[in-house]
Amino acid sequence: MPFPLIPTQTELSGNIVLLCRFLRGKGFPLGATEVANALEALTHLPIHKEIYFKRALKAVLTKNWHQQSNFDELYDEFWKQLSRATDSKVRDSEGMRDKKSKGQRKEAQFESLKDWLNLNPSTTEKDVASFSDLEVLTKKNFSDLSEEEMRLTMRLLRKMARRMAHQKSRLNKKSRRRDRLDLKRTIKANMRKGGAIQQFLFSEKKERKLKLVLLCDVSRSMDLYSRFFVHLIYAFQNAHDRIETFVFSTALHRVSEILDHHEFDKAFDIISDRVPQWSGGTTIGSCLKDFAISYGNRLLDKKTIVLILSDGWDTGNPEIMREAMQIIHKRSKRVLWLNPLAGNPEFSPEALGMKTALPYIDALAPAHNLESLKQALYQFRKRRNLSNKQFG
Amino acid sequence: MNKIELRQIQKMLHGQGYIGDDAIAMSIFLSIQLEKPLLIEGPAGVGKTEIAKVMAKALGVDLIRLQCYEGLDSSHALYEWNYQHQLLYIKMQEQNGQDLEKMENIIFSERFLLKRPVLQAITHPKKPVLLIDEVDRADEEFESFLLEVLSDWQVTIPEIGTIRAKGKPRIILTGNRSRELSEALRRRCLYLWIDYPGFEKELAIVKSKVPEVDEKLGREICAFMKELRKLRLEKTPGVSETIDWARALASLHLKHLDKQTVEDTLGVVLKDWQDIRHTQDALSELLEKTGVTSRIG
Repeated sequence: MPFPLIPTQTELSGNIVLLCRFLRGKGFPLGATEVANALEALTHLPIHKEIYFKRALKAVLTKNWHQQSNFDELYDEFWKQLSRATDSKVRDSEGMRDKKSKGQRKEAQFESLKDWLNLNPSTTEKDVASFSDLEVLTKKNFSDLSEEEMRLTMRLLRKMARRMAHQKSRLNKKSRRRDRLDLKRTIKANMRKGGAIQQFLFSEKKERKLKLVLLCDVSRSMDLYSRFFVHLIYAFQNAHDRIETFVFSTALHRVSEILDHHEFDKAFDIISDRVPQWSGGTTIGSCLKDFAISYGNRLLDKKTIVLILSDGWDTGNPEIMREAMQIIHKRSKRVLWLNPLAGNPEFSPEALGMKTALPYIDALAPAHNLESLKQALYQFRKRRNLSNKQFG
Repeated sequence: MNKIELRQIQKMLHGQGYIGDDAIAMSIFLSIQLEKPLLIEGPAGVGKTEIAKVMAKALGVDLIRLQCYEGLDSSHALYEWNYQHQLLYIKMQEQNGQDLEKMENIIFSERFLLKRPVLQAITHPKKPVLLIDEVDRADEEFESFLLEVLSDWQVTIPEIGTIRAKGKPRIILTGNRSRELSEALRRRCLYLWIDYPGFEKELAIVKSKVPEVDEKLGREICAFMKELRKLRLEKTPGVSETIDWARALASLHLKHLDKQTVEDTLGVVLKDWQDIRHTQDALSELLEKTGVTSRIG
């Protein structure tokens, strides 16, 4: 909509432009349109009431929740800063007031603001830039997350798990979405009405139900990560129907039902109670063998993905490990091994257990931060590479 | 209708029984004045959708509502040809042997056009209020489609031509932050975040919506809700739950809260079994805190 731009630049409109610049520096995405909007908004209001002034600017200049909640503080800071800049400028120019041109004054204001922007990055700045925060978070190692970050991470994880649960298959099914016309069904349905096409039918991709078995190492060497991994399992368990979860250190424990029936903190307590060796040593091989023999027939088939979360520090006999992995590999669709240590650039699968298991694993992925975990989860979509060396 | 004062907005919100704060009035006022869509975000049940309803009622115009969902496409939002009717019409006219070109003009005329909410809003003679509810539920494709409409105020139908808006409709978009909306969409809107109301505001809402509720009970309910929202729940109850609960308790002719009643009626407030269990565990503590607050208040 065309509207008259304020014809002469008054002190006020100049200051609003300054405010917008200031906010832009704080991560507000303000372009010329927003500035113009702000100026126009003020023409509709009795400006002498300061509170209206502030509210109107808030309504026009903020575009998301973070900005809205930070606005008041930044607004106050701006005016304080501005008046300080003006004051100091007045003091400076006391002697040679006549010589200083208006333009230079303006520049002084800008400079002062700029200095302030660059030298004193405030805490609010971090809040405004919420997206880049998220980016940092996804790259941060799980072992040094704070409580708050942990909660955010969990939210992201739940999202990821949900997305994984809703994968598309290549099969079609009927759809209400008018996106892809299903010619075959359309013709078939309309044949009985005399062949004139009266009704369209649409199709969409069927969802592929994922079958998952999670085996999670909770021994001492995994201590830093295991709480997190249980979180992960919990997120998965809540998003998928067909999932079985086991934890192990020196013995294997089935925990699917605990996770199903309790909320996280409680489930975690129960599990650590039930698993007396929580954070003790590991015998991965015998645990996996225990799984393969006791549950392998029932839970494993060619549609099941087996996800093992462990660092591979096995204190048992490598031969047992080999046997166990052979069975699991043979019966499942894919075997993924998530190893938090693999995030280290100098990592090589040196641990004996890891070395033994390696030939039977379809993918070994690091899982020390969100980003790597996401990458690892993409592996779910892939099929087993048959050109890979096959064992068993 | 063009000149509207801020005070009028406040009055009209109040007249419709909507208890809102000044920030809400200001946003509505500016969105009308600047003719910009208003994007409202906030937790569920704080009265986002209600704003549009109240606005339509107060301005005396129609409310056109578009409920977004995953998979919403432009044929649901904009227009669609009434294919079956067109087909029937052709069959009926077959004997008459009508001129082909004439026939085409009739078939692709407004008579066979099914107007969906966005087109309805654009062609409406009196500027209506268009409520695009839960816009974050729709896909990103729909969002970009919306952008196009919001910037041009015109819709092109290949068979008919371009339809221009008679007057820009007043648009309210709501969202729950279930997905981040694009920066481009945000920039075209004014933004308003509505949070859970404070104690006083919630009490005022309860009083206006459920006048039969006892004064003391009302205070206790609001204090309890305030504490309840501090718990880390899966689904934090909104104002609508408070109102439901107040109504339920008022119909039981209660004068104040006790543990048994709260336990029995918790299902009105909480809609998730884990939350209910969680709350039951912490109930005594909650009530204690509530009791203290109500004695002071």
